[in-house]
Amino acid sequence: MARDPILKVRGLDVSFRTNDGPVHAVKGIDLDVFAGEAVAIVGESGSGKSQTTMALMGLLASNGEARGSALYRDQELLGLSERQLNKVRGKKITMIFQEPMTSLDPLYKIGRQLCEPLVHHGALSWRKSRARAIELLELVGIPDPKRRIDAYPHELSGGQRQRVMIAMALANDPDILIADEPTTALDVTIQQQILELLASLQKRLGMAIVFITHDLNIVRRFADRVYVMRLGEVVEHGEAGTLFADPRHDYTKMLLAAEPTGTKLPPAPDAPVLLEGRDVEVVFGTGGGGWFSGAPHQLRAVDGISIALRRGQTIGIVGESGSGKSTLGRALLRLLPGEGTIRFEGQDISKADRRHMLPFRRELQLVFQDPFGSLSPRMTVGQVITEGLLVHEPSLSTKARDARASEALKEVGLDPAMRNRYPHEFSGGQRQRIAIARAIILKPKIVVLDEPTSALDRSVQKQIVELLRDLQKEHDLSYLFISHDLSVVRAMADYVVVMKQGRIVEEGATEAIFEAPREAYTRALMAAAVNDTRFR
Amino acid sequence: MTDAPIDLAKTGSEKPIVGRSLWKDALLRLRRNKAAVASACVLILVALAGIFGPMISPHPYDRVYPQYVRAPASLEAYPREEAIIPAFERAMARTRLDIGEIDVEGSVVRVSISSEDPLDPRIVRYIDRSDLFSNARIEDLAADERTGVLAADVHRVRFPFGTDANGRDLLARIFIGIRVSLAIGVLASFMALVLGVTYGATAGYLGGRVDNVMMRIVDILYSLPFIFFVILLVVFFGRSFVLIFIAIGLTEWLDMARIVRGQTLTIKRQEYVEAAQALGVSSWGILRRHVIPNTLGPVIVFVTLLVPKAILLESLLSFLGLGVQEPLTSLGMLISDGASNMRGASWLLIYPAVTLTAILFALNFLGDGLRDALDPKDR
Amino acid sequence: MIGYVLRRLAGAIPTIFIIVTIAFFMIRLAPGGPFDLERPLDPLIMENINRAYNLDQPLWRQYLLYLGNLAQGDLGPSFTRRDFSVVDLFRTGLPVSIQLGSMALCIALVFGTLLGALAALRQNSWIDYVVVGTATLGITIPTFVIAPVLSLVFGVMMGWLPAGGWGGGQLRYLILPVATLALPQIAIIARLTRGATIEALRSNHVRTARAYGLPAYVVVGVHTLRAAILPVVSYLGPTAAALLTGSVVVETIFGIPGIGRYFVQGALGRDYTLVMGTVVVIAVFVVLFNLVVDILYALLDPRVRYD
Repeated sequence: MARDPILKVRGLDVSFRTNDGPVHAVKGIDLDVFAGEAVAIVGESGSGKSQTTMALMGLLASNGEARGSALYRDQELLGLSERQLNKVRGKKITMIFQEPMTSLDPLYKIGRQLCEPLVHHGALSWRKSRARAIELLELVGIPDPKRRIDAYPHELSGGQRQRVMIAMALANDPDILIADEPTTALDVTIQQQILELLASLQKRLGMAIVFITHDLNIVRRFADRVYVMRLGEVVEHGEAGTLFADPRHDYTKMLLAAEPTGTKLPPAPDAPVLLEGRDVEVVFGTGGGGWFSGAPHQLRAVDGISIALRRGQTIGIVGESGSGKSTLGRALLRLLPGEGTIRFEGQDISKADRRHMLPFRRELQLVFQDPFGSLSPRMTVGQVITEGLLVHEPSLSTKARDARASEALKEVGLDPAMRNRYPHEFSGGQRQRIAIARAIILKPKIVVLDEPTSALDRSVQKQIVELLRDLQKEHDLSYLFISHDLSVVRAMADYVVVMKQGRIVEEGATEAIFEAPREAYTRALMAAAVNDTRFR
Repeated sequence: MTDAPIDLAKTGSEKPIVGRSLWKDALLRLRRNKAAVASACVLILVALAGIFGPMISPHPYDRVYPQYVRAPASLEAYPREEAIIPAFERAMARTRLDIGEIDVEGSVVRVSISSEDPLDPRIVRYIDRSDLFSNARIEDLAADERTGVLAADVHRVRFPFGTDANGRDLLARIFIGIRVSLAIGVLASFMALVLGVTYGATAGYLGGRVDNVMMRIVDILYSLPFIFFVILLVVFFGRSFVLIFIAIGLTEWLDMARIVRGQTLTIKRQEYVEAAQALGVSSWGILRRHVIPNTLGPVIVFVTLLVPKAILLESLLSFLGLGVQEPLTSLGMLISDGASNMRGASWLLIYPAVTLTAILFALNFLGDGLRDALDPKDR
Repeated sequence: MIGYVLRRLAGAIPTIFIIVTIAFFMIRLAPGGPFDLERPLDPLIMENINRAYNLDQPLWRQYLLYLGNLAQGDLGPSFTRRDFSVVDLFRTGLPVSIQLGSMALCIALVFGTLLGALAALRQNSWIDYVVVGTATLGITIPTFVIAPVLSLVFGVMMGWLPAGGWGGGQLRYLILPVATLALPQIAIIARLTRGATIEALRSNHVRTARAYGLPAYVVVGVHTLRAAILPVVSYLGPTAAALLTGSVVVETIFGIPGIGRYFVQGALGRDYTLVMGTVVVIAVFVVLFNLVVDILYALLDPRVRYD
């Protein structure tokens, strides 16, 4: 490209003073943004990709410091006074954030918040800006904008709030729009809509977009050029097409290869059914039924679902948040009260009380999404892993328990010497391994995996997926794999159940579902996740 | 964050590495907090003063020195040099003897005495009766028993904080006041702790309707002007030490119950509790291994902040004349006395007020420090 | 809105009823009576007095009588101040307490929020340290220390202001008691405001406001302070009720004829009606101010709805 970049970052360095000494988040990176292009900054958590843009916008936390140079059309942004910076940010460079639920002020109507940048950058009066705000809301696809302009943020859904944020970003016709993981907190189908909106707006309005993401699929579909960041450094950058086709750096190669691959073969047709649920229903009562709060609302989280899991099988349960997939997993394990019949190896366990459930508990295990919340923070890893043994093999000596803990840790690829450490001393992926060790130490037959990889970086996800596969082969485990991430489900499951609002929309063998989804909802899910056609 | 099981595997030894628990972490953070460490030191000193002060103090807290009413705070010993001779003269006047020059030598007073009748050795009692002198004796008694030298030891006392309106040593009274105030503060907080934790944990753990009813009761109790009921209790059922701390404990447990319930509810929703349920761990096991250890942090912080509240409440009661009974005292009572004597005897207000403020200050700083140290937001 | 207020007021009646009931029986359970003197009275006179005050009736009848009178706004005659009814006592005392309390409240609100916000905006500067240190001091030093010290320093030593007394409500007499009441509240409100402001400054929507180049006065004045004031508003309910109904300590030390002293005096003298009257007045204030606070809160925060 012969043009000059409109944003030229050289040797940007960001560090934070902390109690444990300075933390170097960004280590002297260079970055260019040309007018009208889509640049992606890709990296996993801790790569410094967000802090890079925060530094440009003067939004670093008070203990943060940025050095180096960042020229916007020959104007140095770093070290600028707030007043000078305010002439650029919100006008020439705007930003949308990862957290649509909290990025708008809950105390003011969205109309007022939309008008503020218009008014304070001197363009319009409050009266005129209101008309412009309605236009903007229409532009970003908010239905009935004349009425919605007087809505408060809490009256809008997450996707709508992100649209409002986009409207705000477009208000002053910016040169550059920075989008910091704008879809991560949203459901896949909403993600798709937001990305399409951004792409079409860019085409129409011609501003440059800097897209910060961990999701390579988005990059592939969106970006003209890509910067790959790792531990505060840019390890590789270039044209998106070239970079994907011919990655140079090992880390980029690893990231690209980190998309889970492979498929799972279905179990033998004569494999026995281990766990069977018939017409399972879970109803939550909301609204405490107080004196003045009227009739209690009821929510059918799981609404008459039947499912059968065979030995060695992995059933993938997919759906968006609120579809009831996690509730179903817990109801099948009898961790939530529900209606319907649940059989384990032919025995009806749906009415078993706590004591009668006890022998089944060791056969039915659970691994959670959040590796930070699922380990008791004040117990050592050894204690966490062996807690089940205290219940199911109370006769074991302390020494024998210790030996079993070491064994289990080895099996999940951790050093047994770590068993006296505490969960907070481990990384996310290691914690998930610990959680898996806790489940398999009891030698269960069935493990319910509730979004076990969703909180992890892609590269770690892949390792966990491989670990789960190995364990399944070795112990002939059956999995109920709950996830909203279709690419992982495709790699893990041999049978897929698609859920929406507590009901099954569609189910079938994995390949059949992925190759030829019948229902519109399934197709929308697929389009969002597996599609790799570009947005333009 | 990159995951590197390989790195871990290569250490490969069987010998477990000892980890750093959250408690140890918190302790390290607390030690770095200078204000909290200083507060802890102050509290230890004050507690020691409350425990051992009354034992080592030369004056019992209820001993009255009629000669030294409202003696100002001073490091010098009483009686003052210039006060000895007049006092001795006054004491001698009662003996109706002819006396010579009074001579003070160190801590011994001597005077030559003479009388028409033989000297009665019992006259020394007149001297001993005064608080200032002791061990009065007749020396160099002449053969005719009509002249001699009367000697007496000057009883020197020190009142570093002065004396109160009844002539009692303020330092000794502050010691006992610290003891009473701290004891009531700690016992009342302990009572609030036991009541609040039991009630809150039960409500939070059982949840549902039981929780609703239990918390509605707490709400109703909240809306009662409770401090007034404490006053009523104390007014009507007497002013005993035990009743006071029970009354304070009864008012303070409501907050504790709410905090513990909130904590229990949060922890109950944590995935590690669900994981334990999935393992088949009993309710008691979950409470013991998961709920209690994880509620402990906020509870400790809250208790640290509860103790000053209880002390303050006790002081308020004492100030209103509803505290412990004389001659026993507490810091609040001392301040109340000081307030009524502040014209002309300001030390009676200043020393107890400074002591109480120091205790409350230290407890608050320690509580804040503990909260910062235990706050999981940090990580 | 009006429906909500009415519903809340109706809901307050059972609360006040419960309080009145508990207080009534607690007082009567206590040993001793209003006319127990050092030397017992002649039994005949005693009987007459008891009859005059209905004390000869069974307790439940006295209770019903009291409730009946209460419903008509009659709090009964005072037992220890023979010539006054309890309503008379409040009619003279309550305005005094309210005057002191409302002045203290206004001062505390203005200074507390200003200092707190200032400290938060200059976090970790010397202003912040001074405010936080003074606030901690203000919270830890009890009123019954502040009151005599202020009286000692400004009244006795300097002689600038009267050390006590009411003086018919002249400003010179008001300064020290109002300061005593306001100082701890300034400290508490400053701490609350500071914490809430810091939290608001760290919130995502303030980051948005900054990212859109809004001037500092908008970022702080519009998007930070409104959120920061919310916890202060909820704190205000019980505090306002407590301040306006008088402080025992301040009124005792400065010798002010408010109603703060009535409860303790009444309880000590077994002045049943006076104690009950105080309880009722305080309960009504608490209920009213909680309602005011809830309405204010709903006005400030659109997420809260009246239901």
